[in-house]
Amino acid sequence: MLTMTDIKKVYRTDSIETHALRDFNLQVNEGDFVAVTGPSGSGKTTFLNIAGLLETFEEGRFELDGVDISHQNDASRSRLRNQKIGFIFQSFNLIPDLNLFDNVDVPLRYRGFNRQERKKRIENSLEMVGLAKRMKHLPAQLSGGQQQRVAIARALAGEPRFLLADEPTGNLDSNMAQSVMSLLKDINANGTTIIMVTHDAGLATQATRNIHVRDGKVSEMNESLSAKVDMPNAVATDNGPAVALVK
Amino acid sequence: MNEQKERSFFAENWEVGPILRALLRNKVGAILIALQIAFTMTIVVNAIYIIHERSEKMKRPSGIDEANSFYLSSVGFTNDFNTLVTTKKDLNLIRSLEGVVDAIQINAVPMSNSGWSMGLQTQPGAEFDGTGSAVYMVDEHALNTLDVALVAGENFRATDIQTRVASQNHWPDKVIITLAMANRLFPDDGLGALGKTVYINDIEPMIITGIIDKLQAPWVGWDNVENVMLTPEIRDAETSRYFIRTKPGQRDRIMSEVESLLAKSNTGRILRDMRSIDETRVRAYRDNSAMIRILVTVMVILVIVTGLGIVGLASFSVNQRKKQIGTRRALGASQQAIVRYFMLENLLISTVGVVLGAMLTVGLNIVLVDAFSLDPITWYYIPLGMLALWVVGQLAVYGPAKKAANIPPALATRSA
Amino acid sequence: MFNYYLKLAFNSFKRNPILTGLMIAAIALGIGASMTTITVNYLMSGDPIPEKSSQLFHVQVDSWDPNTGFNDEPNTPPNQLTWTEATNLMAAKKDFRQTAMAKSGAIIQPDNPDINPFEASIRLAFSDFFPMFSVPFQYGNGWDQKADEDRQMVVVLSKETNDKVFGGENSVGKNIVIFGKSFRVIGVLDAWQPLPKFYDVNNGAFDDPEALFMPFYLKQELELPNWGNTNCWKSPEGEGFQAFLQSECINFQMWVELETEQDKQTYLTFLNNYVNDQKELGRFPRPLNNRLLNVMQWMHDQEVVADDAQIMMWLSFMFLVVCLLNTIGLQLAKFSAKSAEIGLRRAVGATKQDLFLQYTVETGAVGLAGGAMGLLLALLGLVGIRHLYGDELNDLATLDSTMIATALLLSLFASVCAGLYPTWRACNIAPASQLKSQ
Repeated sequence: MLTMTDIKKVYRTDSIETHALRDFNLQVNEGDFVAVTGPSGSGKTTFLNIAGLLETFEEGRFELDGVDISHQNDASRSRLRNQKIGFIFQSFNLIPDLNLFDNVDVPLRYRGFNRQERKKRIENSLEMVGLAKRMKHLPAQLSGGQQQRVAIARALAGEPRFLLADEPTGNLDSNMAQSVMSLLKDINANGTTIIMVTHDAGLATQATRNIHVRDGKVSEMNESLSAKVDMPNAVATDNGPAVALVK
Repeated sequence: MNEQKERSFFAENWEVGPILRALLRNKVGAILIALQIAFTMTIVVNAIYIIHERSEKMKRPSGIDEANSFYLSSVGFTNDFNTLVTTKKDLNLIRSLEGVVDAIQINAVPMSNSGWSMGLQTQPGAEFDGTGSAVYMVDEHALNTLDVALVAGENFRATDIQTRVASQNHWPDKVIITLAMANRLFPDDGLGALGKTVYINDIEPMIITGIIDKLQAPWVGWDNVENVMLTPEIRDAETSRYFIRTKPGQRDRIMSEVESLLAKSNTGRILRDMRSIDETRVRAYRDNSAMIRILVTVMVILVIVTGLGIVGLASFSVNQRKKQIGTRRALGASQQAIVRYFMLENLLISTVGVVLGAMLTVGLNIVLVDAFSLDPITWYYIPLGMLALWVVGQLAVYGPAKKAANIPPALATRSA
Repeated sequence: MFNYYLKLAFNSFKRNPILTGLMIAAIALGIGASMTTITVNYLMSGDPIPEKSSQLFHVQVDSWDPNTGFNDEPNTPPNQLTWTEATNLMAAKKDFRQTAMAKSGAIIQPDNPDINPFEASIRLAFSDFFPMFSVPFQYGNGWDQKADEDRQMVVVLSKETNDKVFGGENSVGKNIVIFGKSFRVIGVLDAWQPLPKFYDVNNGAFDDPEALFMPFYLKQELELPNWGNTNCWKSPEGEGFQAFLQSECINFQMWVELETEQDKQTYLTFLNNYVNDQKELGRFPRPLNNRLLNVMQWMHDQEVVADDAQIMMWLSFMFLVVCLLNTIGLQLAKFSAKSAEIGLRRAVGATKQDLFLQYTVETGAVGLAGGAMGLLLALLGLVGIRHLYGDELNDLATLDSTMIATALLLSLFASVCAGLYPTWRACNIAPASQLKSQ
């Protein structure tokens, strides 16, 4: 599904060379929910950037869904990102001038769907995160948790094979964080592969697989057991937010 | 759900709706650019129109051999000075010079902005209106000297030439007029004017014995600048003006020769105002050419200012939206899509600007027509102006858009 | 505090040198263009004789063709007078000071054989001409009324003519040969250049004054040629110079000095009576239409300010508007980038007024810098205009202190206006809004 072999990534400034990743090897299988942890500066964000095709690498081999990434130019990497990968960012990265509908619309535009298709997908995905009724609102009018759910809706609207999450709960309080987390688990349960970078060991335990990164290398930990988390099911209902929010 | 829906690059990839909605939330910046474009278009289009009008005016031929002609005046001041004798002697001298095509005495010169005019009318009597016409008093060498061609009738004969004294009121009985003047006098049949009698001083008859193709009056700003008549006269006044046509390339040499020759031949007069027709044209249209240069300068600077303004604001908005652009890139926008986004955004703003500009342009033109009796603008200047400003906007925003496209997608995952 | 704001402004310029440069350049260009055209218009429309321009009146009587008016506009009397009117109205002597005038020209033959004979323009006038128009003298005086009546061969030289013929020395009492006749110099003018040349705008409103001044009746006495515009609606009856003088041809101007409104009304009544008397003699076939316009009214009537100059001024104002819109946009952008800083300043206790002052100082400094540069550009623009128009506009393309002050005020005003909205927006940023990290 996702295979990284001996990936090397070096950041260069005028005088300093930083080896962000070296001999980085990882295999992620379809349906995995991988949590990536590690101290800051360990290379986890670099890994995420490379996995998300946001950055290139110097050496090694990276195959995503059967496609050899090393030989892709910027345009085709953009297309792959658009078709296969959904992103969730720590600070949500919603576009402040666009309402929720238009925000979710952004990747779908680049995908080239027609108008009806986009509308259907936007409505479905906002429905799924329980914000269908606030489609015309601006991000600033929402709470942090709601904003992150919009970001999740945006990531899912294109039905990607992978979901990459970068500290998805880092800017949220624990209640909101937990509700976002269970939403992710549901998404994973529906078959989407998720790779989540986090520094929160508690969250990491909720993933099906844990990877620890240190000094640009992987040191895998045991698979955690995540089957028995007793959070409410995050399937949308018509009555409002799918996730119970304590406010 | 998994199979790809059909891609339609045109309708779906253009983010007109979202851009517009985003713009509406940041109205002020967009309005400022739109207004700038509107005012710039207003000034530029009106300026171009004025420039066009002026340069058309400047292009009008005077009818004479401009490159090879010049003139000068001889003013006698001694009590025994005899203008007629001197003039005849001078002309013989000048005409005999190697390189001179011909020379005449003339009372005024095309484009010199000073001359005589009289009214001609087709019926006698003070109750009938005359048609204003410039008067050139010349002899039978005039057609050759002025480089004008007869389209009908004949030249003056040497015996036709009469002497005109100062403050004389009566006129010769023959006149040659331009075709433009003939058409003005006889609108149905200009060439039929030949042989007809017209009246000067309300009642004094003159017979049109010739019609010439083209000759301008001395006043370039006059509406009827092609209304001209030639009368067969030699003037007996202190001032005698000579008009000289030379062979190609000989003018400057002849000018200095004539000046020293005449100065030597008679010391009871001064020579003044020697000037080539080329210089006369420059002087006559100096206001117009100055106006054109000023307007061109203003236009160029204005377009640069507006362009730089757009560059500045666009760069700024790119800087402000770095994170957003990185996010778009992360979500799958190609570099091309980012460039397109900013170009399209500018196109939308410009469109508002040029539509407003079109209205302002017409408005300013109406004011100019009203206050300064300019001609109303020709319609196609407006769409051309709109197009031009669109292009300016697109060119200006291309740099910042390119810069935006180079923002790395990894910016999206960078915190703060 | 003001110094602190200045320092902050300076820091801000250093941080955004390109943006600040653009703003200053935009203001400078707008001001430069406007000031150039304003200066030309200001000088063209200036009052050439401010101390008495409202008391000097140009005399017009409608002696024109019964069938067609003098020009396209209805009810406009001719712009000049006939010899008959000029001399009759002068003879009536109904006012404080009065002068009829004509333009002519003749050849001067200097005694000094090294100086070639040259042609000079002549202003024929009455003795009142000099005191009426406050003409400055370097040597001697104008002639008196007796010289007018006796048609004395006296002449007043312009400074330039005196310099040329007599090397600038006091030539009063000397003789000079003009038009083949010997004249006695009785006065030499000091430098005199009324702008516009209001007393006769027919031949170039910005021409130099004439080279020679001599008694009006010498026109008739010596049969001096007509210079300037001569217009006739019917040709003279009979031939020769005297017939021209008796004709309906107009080539003469007349000015009267009337001190009060009542004097003016009285003089207008006199004019109307005069014309009615002439009507009895079979002249003045048109309806009674006499006018007295003072200097500025006459300048306006004669459209002394060139259309092109006005068009350019209005276009340059629009140019300034574009430059200001430009500056507003850039300023807005610059301030919006500072919203975090502003939020912080608010949070640590700056009042809206403090911020308002701070940013007004900043925009004001931009404006002054732009204004100063604009002034330089205006100087450059005026050099350009002089170059393009040649001697014609030489005297009209200079900056005086009024214009410099206007330029600086205009730029300050413009830039503060341009900074007002961005400043206001900046001051209204809520203290807390920007403190949350993004």
